[in-house]
Amino acid sequence: MQTQQQGSGSGILKMVLLGLLGVFTGGLIFVAGLGVGVATSGEFALTAPSAVEPLSAPNADAEQGRPSGVDTALMNDVLRRLRSQWYGEMPNSDKLTDGAIRGMVAALGDPFTAYVEPRYAKILEDDASGTFEGIGATLRQVTGGGVQIVRTFDGAPAQKGGVLPGDLIEAVDGTPVSGLSTYEVAALVRGPKGTTVTLTLRRADVPKPFDLSLVRDRINIPLVTSKMVGDGKIAYVSLFDFSAQASAQLTTQLRELLRNNPSGLILDLRDNPGGLLSQAVEVGDIFLKDGVFIIQRDNKGNEERKSTTNRGIAQDIPMVVLVNAASASAAEVLAGAIQDYNRATIIGEQTFGKGSVQLPQSLPNGGQLRITIQRWYTPKNRAIHQMGIKPDYIVPMSNEDALQGRDPQLDAAVEYLLSGKEPAPTPFPTVSPRR
Amino acid sequence: MLNFRRFALIMMLLAWSSVVFGAGWLARSRLVPGAANRVTIHAPEYRLLDEAWGRVRESFIGEVPSDTIRNYGAIRGMLATLNDRWTVFVEPQPRAIERDHLRGQFGGIGVDIRIDEAGRVILTPRRNSPAEKAGVQAGDILVAVDGINFSNGAPFEDIAARVRGEVGTVVRITVNRAGRLIDFAITRALIEIPSVDWRVISDTAPNQTVIGYISIRQFTERTGSEVKQAITELQSAGSQAYLIDLRDNGGGLLASAIEVASQFLSSGNVLIEQKRNQTDGSIITVTHPVIGGGLAQRASLSVLVNRNTASASEIVAGALQDHGRARLIGEKTYGKGSVQLLFDLSDGSSIHVTSARWLTPNARAIDGVGLQPDIEAYRAEGEAERGIDSQLERALADLRAKSAASK
Repeated sequence: MQTQQQGSGSGILKMVLLGLLGVFTGGLIFVAGLGVGVATSGEFALTAPSAVEPLSAPNADAEQGRPSGVDTALMNDVLRRLRSQWYGEMPNSDKLTDGAIRGMVAALGDPFTAYVEPRYAKILEDDASGTFEGIGATLRQVTGGGVQIVRTFDGAPAQKGGVLPGDLIEAVDGTPVSGLSTYEVAALVRGPKGTTVTLTLRRADVPKPFDLSLVRDRINIPLVTSKMVGDGKIAYVSLFDFSAQASAQLTTQLRELLRNNPSGLILDLRDNPGGLLSQAVEVGDIFLKDGVFIIQRDNKGNEERKSTTNRGIAQDIPMVVLVNAASASAAEVLAGAIQDYNRATIIGEQTFGKGSVQLPQSLPNGGQLRITIQRWYTPKNRAIHQMGIKPDYIVPMSNEDALQGRDPQLDAAVEYLLSGKEPAPTPFPTVSPRR
Repeated sequence: MLNFRRFALIMMLLAWSSVVFGAGWLARSRLVPGAANRVTIHAPEYRLLDEAWGRVRESFIGEVPSDTIRNYGAIRGMLATLNDRWTVFVEPQPRAIERDHLRGQFGGIGVDIRIDEAGRVILTPRRNSPAEKAGVQAGDILVAVDGINFSNGAPFEDIAARVRGEVGTVVRITVNRAGRLIDFAITRALIEIPSVDWRVISDTAPNQTVIGYISIRQFTERTGSEVKQAITELQSAGSQAYLIDLRDNGGGLLASAIEVASQFLSSGNVLIEQKRNQTDGSIITVTHPVIGGGLAQRASLSVLVNRNTASASEIVAGALQDHGRARLIGEKTYGKGSVQLLFDLSDGSSIHVTSARWLTPNARAIDGVGLQPDIEAYRAEGEAERGIDSQLERALADLRAKSAASK
């Protein structure tokens, strides 16, 4: 099937790819960028790679000629020098293989394309319960290396145990995680309820790394929360992520709220790391009329569009969408489409800028490659990747606000819906000129 | 009297040194012949690497880097598995510049390069350099080198790689001077990168000790002979004691460190090296004795160190401290106790391989620890701007007191 000849051969290949994408977008997209959820809901769980047929080794693009293999002479030269002079112990072949693949992948300069070593890939594949049991935190790859805690969930072991967003993970149960991808760290952190995991963390204002032991638990986080705000005139719904039940639960709770005849609606996508693209489309369908919702493009110029229909239950009510820097992926797709159609006013902070899809593929050694294969564009063809969605009104929220229980972003949204008052422009930051 | 040898800042040496020497490595350049080696070596599974890369090429949405970049990535990845921050891969251009600096000289035209805020490359020729003689003026903006356009700026390494070359060859430079383009054909000459400067420090007060001050910036192939020249000149200028300044000296060549330390020691070892026999895993100890004939074996001596004093500098400072030959004044040093070998690869890139740990003559391991100064002294914030150097003053005062006591 992979035998390629000019013309028809590439057609076959395209079919293979689209077939895979179909499977993938149909249920397997998840938000790698921001959060590999360490045990939150199923969405953050690493997709089961077995569900995706691995591509067999691709041959050369017919047009480009056969790509040359790695320079084995150069690499053997390096290994010979090491063998004769290296002070430490030589790693075995498997370790060198893992390192070399990791290094090649790093040369792509894409933080989302990652390699998962066989032993971690195995944990991820075997781990059925881990998607709901763990410490209740999301992780992210830090540019320049390292894995960081992005978010901890109320009442979950990480937060109760003193883990803070921003903490860098140095080791898990004594295993240093230097050089490992987010997926691999997640594999180490996850585990069944009742078991203990010890994190070695580095924190900005603490001079030395320190250990925290956490007992893993089942993580229960409400997917949708809703209430009436603004003296009962405004409906408020918050969506935690885009997991499988997102649109169904949102619809149910929205129906309840709409019975109160609210004059406005707030959709809170702050801290929403994304999830299934299919759910983003369905959620979009609640608010949008028919039209293109998202454009997906791959490296061959293939384009796929997903559209909403004209059957939503909240297509006309005045609406504000709240976003922040932790709104990512599917959340950005939704906010971007809503913005393009002027369906709502976007208030908050610039979003994360994760508009790409990673396809997990198994390698013959049992490792996994997660390659960024698609980028996402809004209906007006705006790139989400690295750009994010800029709110119509920027309203910042400080840690201080959060600690004091203030929510200036929500306040601005309520006020805007009630009185049409535009949020005050953010003052230009005070900067001193460079000398 | 003053014998002051000025440092010319050649081709942004400082900017470069913060990248390479600042990391504080110590190295011996040595090439091991790449002849057939019958020892079996562990190697990655190359077919798997090719398969992985094939998949990347097949589906990655971004730009797929060249095979060269891919190969370099694979090598970097392999070296990363050693978990040693000093065992690293160096691409050809930085390697060429590193080589020039370790030699302490290169074929060039003697022009300083500064990149301004607009990204323009501003030239300043050194006095009597080929560039100056050819007519390059300070403030000329570099447009092109041998037809390669640099008018939009470029990393220093890229420019240096074009401008430098074998002595006697010609490089064509195009500059923009007030809107006018001017071409120069300049024959490259030997440009030296001095690593040592020295001067006599004498107080106006009578009967004060005359101190010879020797500042060593890095340990290049030329450093040993530069230090010998410094001592000879300072001696004839009446120096009775010496102050060696190793502050911010990130290291360099091991052989140069031994040569410098040997100028001030009469016998014993400069350092002890521990290497691994890769065949049986055993540790081999190699001692590096003092080279006889040191020029200043007895004069009073102090050494200035700070937290950036690293590697080869720590070998010198550690040896002089262990032998009771000098007091260290300043701050605790960096603490880099390993030796790297530099290997050039076939395409001009190279690897630094940590090949040994080293200990001071008294078998102190300083890696991650550093050398504790005998007298701690710290510079206050803003001293440099005000032209004050309290560490230097502290060292001079101590050295004068010590010499007076020994008289």
